[in-house]
Amino acid sequence: MTVSRRELLQAAGLLVASMPLSGCEKIVSLATEQMGENIPVHLKIPEKSSIDEHFHLLSRAAYGPWPGDLDYLQEVGKDAWLHEQLNYEQVRDDACQMRSKRFETIHLDPGTCFEFKRSVLARELASYSIVRAVYSKRQLYEVMVGFWSDHLNISIDKGDCLYFKPTDDRLVIRPHALGNFRDLIHASVLSPAMLIYLDGKENKKPRPDSIPNENAARELLELHTLGVRGGYTQRDVYETARCLTGWTIQTGWQRGKETFDRTLHDNGEKLVLGHRIPAGLFEQDLDHLLDIVCFHPSTAQHIATKLAHKFVSDEPPAKLVQRLSGIFTRTRGDIKEMLLALFSSNEFADSSGGKLKRPFHFVISSLRMTGADTYAHEQLIEYISRMGQGPFTYPTPDGYPDKPEPWLGTMLWRWNFASALVSNGIPSVEISLDRLIASIHGQSTIGESSNVDSIKSRSIFSYFTGRSPNDHELKALTKFLTSERKTSANAEIVGLILASPAFQRC
Amino acid sequence: MAKVSRRAFLNKMLVATEPTHTSGRTLVCVFLRGGADTLNMLVPYGDADYYKVRPTIAISPPRKTRTASVIAINDFYGLHPNLSPLLNIFGEGRLAFVQGVGSDNSSGSHFDAQDQFERGESYRKSIGGGWLGRYLQSKVDHTVSPLSAVSIGTSVSESLHGAPAASALTSVDEACLKVADGELAHVAQALSDMYGAEVGLLANAGKDALQLNARVEKLKKNMHSSTKNVEYPDTEFGKGLRQLSQLIKAEVGLEVATIDYGGWDTHFFQGAAEGIQATNMLELAKGLASFDEDLGSHRGKVTTIVVTEFGRRTYENGSQGTDHGRGFALFAMGAGITGGRVHGQWPGVNHQNQDLLGPSGLPIAFDYRSVLGEVLRGCLQAQHLDKVFPQFQLASVGLVSAKQCPQIL
Repeated sequence: MTVSRRELLQAAGLLVASMPLSGCEKIVSLATEQMGENIPVHLKIPEKSSIDEHFHLLSRAAYGPWPGDLDYLQEVGKDAWLHEQLNYEQVRDDACQMRSKRFETIHLDPGTCFEFKRSVLARELASYSIVRAVYSKRQLYEVMVGFWSDHLNISIDKGDCLYFKPTDDRLVIRPHALGNFRDLIHASVLSPAMLIYLDGKENKKPRPDSIPNENAARELLELHTLGVRGGYTQRDVYETARCLTGWTIQTGWQRGKETFDRTLHDNGEKLVLGHRIPAGLFEQDLDHLLDIVCFHPSTAQHIATKLAHKFVSDEPPAKLVQRLSGIFTRTRGDIKEMLLALFSSNEFADSSGGKLKRPFHFVISSLRMTGADTYAHEQLIEYISRMGQGPFTYPTPDGYPDKPEPWLGTMLWRWNFASALVSNGIPSVEISLDRLIASIHGQSTIGESSNVDSIKSRSIFSYFTGRSPNDHELKALTKFLTSERKTSANAEIVGLILASPAFQRC
Repeated sequence: MAKVSRRAFLNKMLVATEPTHTSGRTLVCVFLRGGADTLNMLVPYGDADYYKVRPTIAISPPRKTRTASVIAINDFYGLHPNLSPLLNIFGEGRLAFVQGVGSDNSSGSHFDAQDQFERGESYRKSIGGGWLGRYLQSKVDHTVSPLSAVSIGTSVSESLHGAPAASALTSVDEACLKVADGELAHVAQALSDMYGAEVGLLANAGKDALQLNARVEKLKKNMHSSTKNVEYPDTEFGKGLRQLSQLIKAEVGLEVATIDYGGWDTHFFQGAAEGIQATNMLELAKGLASFDEDLGSHRGKVTTIVVTEFGRRTYENGSQGTDHGRGFALFAMGAGITGGRVHGQWPGVNHQNQDLLGPSGLPIAFDYRSVLGEVLRGCLQAQHLDKVFPQFQLASVGLVSAKQCPQIL
């Protein structure tokens, strides 16, 4: 096994003019392969004309199946798989940990981050996120990390946010991604990265006539909790801003840690969404405020809608939203309970193939399904950025949009990515298509697979899209295969499938 | 051999996509994202109240000896010193401002207000599509190509949604299919087969991408020969304007274009004559002035408007910035514009947060659709404004004079 892998890598090294993985990276790759990060010899191929239900689950609750994931899900069943994914702490993830350990700045506090170049911090943060999304066995967890990173978006291009975002990822998003909503919002409000991004650290009342800075308060209500149609008024924004005065970040010793400065707090009485917060509570205003805004009925509705939109349909089914909203209220914001109900619902089961993959999802699913070996260097990040979804660079606090229209201008760049990936033309990304294709065709040896006929192209298509091709698709594939070609048929056919409409959807 | 089939394929694609008729006119919409504080751009230096409500961030009244002060354009208004690259254009009567433009959106939300603006709707009354998309759709006898409507950037802007075809570009050069040598025709054909069998959103997206690829291949030579040595700001915004100028000069049938410039959400430490907003203003003004210069003989066909989702509070907050407000001053430049003046009355500043249902700020004198509609009618000769802004009665602004808009065809 190891030997053939090495041979393959050597062969790839000779063929590929672009920069291959470094020696050190190859050693890690060999180790992770031993830990199960490989392509099984046989792969089960969906055979029905509609999308396989397990494939559907892996397309939404994960960034697509890694080779063999579909077989595993079919073996253990949907319920057991969901249980495992929701209790993610128990899923062994050693291989992914080993790969992602390379990005050291992720684990540093803001003060230490200031000693690194901006370009290094930005690259490591993006690489880390990509590597985790591709390799983690805690896939639903990674998908939810992505969801909350959008919901509580912070752009690393604004001010000093870059130095604080690794800490925000480590201490806000990741600990609470499958936890409790109020805990998540509490951590986010006090996150130094957020205090900088939304000017919260400048929201203060040093003098009786000082006017608060409303930015953080407005986004807390509009984006993070109630939603823009959640029924709050300009006065609620103003009163919320008053509650948040005095929270700032330390300079000097423990630079960049959040702190509460009593002298800058507006300690008068407040009235938020009809609830009175008495005068004189100082930093406890925050707890009262969060109880009011996190458990407001509009917040339950807003979060339920957003989850249903993300995982079920661009037009979230009203009844599902109502159920999820009820669970949110009953469990006081238990994210796992909502997801369990969502993925077990009929609405979810009926929704396959109806969403457009956003660029990040498209790229990660391509890498996963081809069993790629990568450490996500600059060039791979650049592909994602060019499609409009560079990690942590969306400028405004609403996060990357989750509707299809904004992403439809990216087709050329998706196609070019597919073409580069299959020809091993992306520096720092290596795939061995011959091995994958052999496994798809159930051959134990790699060899004569460079000639793909239309029967074989059928199963390759099914492997990547979760269903057999329809007449149009089959005709297009066959026509393509019979035309004159120079390059390897495997690469060509996989490239076309990755570029096809069916693979853009999930 | 491969080359022949490639060219044959591209030609085949082109037959279907070459626009047969365009007005030859172009509307460029610059969107300042974040809610630009236009009170510090078009400064009402003649109103003493302006200085009272902005003790630390106001721009000093015009003074001959100091540069960091307002440059008077009349006896009441002046431009921020960093907008000086626009002075000549204003002086030549080709640049105008409309004071107090806005919408009935009182949410104070960037995203709600931007969406409403780009969709051309009333507050929370959905029509479907964007205002420019509906405009292109309303031109019944008009053949469109993916280069009729272009958003600079990585996504097609909301205002172009619903357009028969539209593209998102950061640079025209890169808009091409990159596959192995000799494979282009095969791959493009296969993609065309795959996407051609689609229905729904992806069908158009695929078709547009293939047509864009085909047109750009043909254009490349053309465009480089028309490049003039005009210096733009070395920023995304500057590069985007240069791309637009090249497309216009290559006469590809570009009819509407959108370009964004972000970073105007100045809640904190926005600065005055210098600072965060001042830096943005300099880039904006330099970009627009370069664009105007670069257009050269094509100037008479191009109108540029500069908009934002809302203005900001008239008074400054406790962190030397301004919070979200309402009305703003819209910039309009180029063909058809009655320039060299500020349209609309000065409403005066208010001192307190008077209207707590929505953010206060400059009151709205002109619904934004009245301005956009007048520009569409006067500069692009739009015939069916009722389809662009259904159930909305446009008021006269006086920004575009039909007489000044030259007949091209």
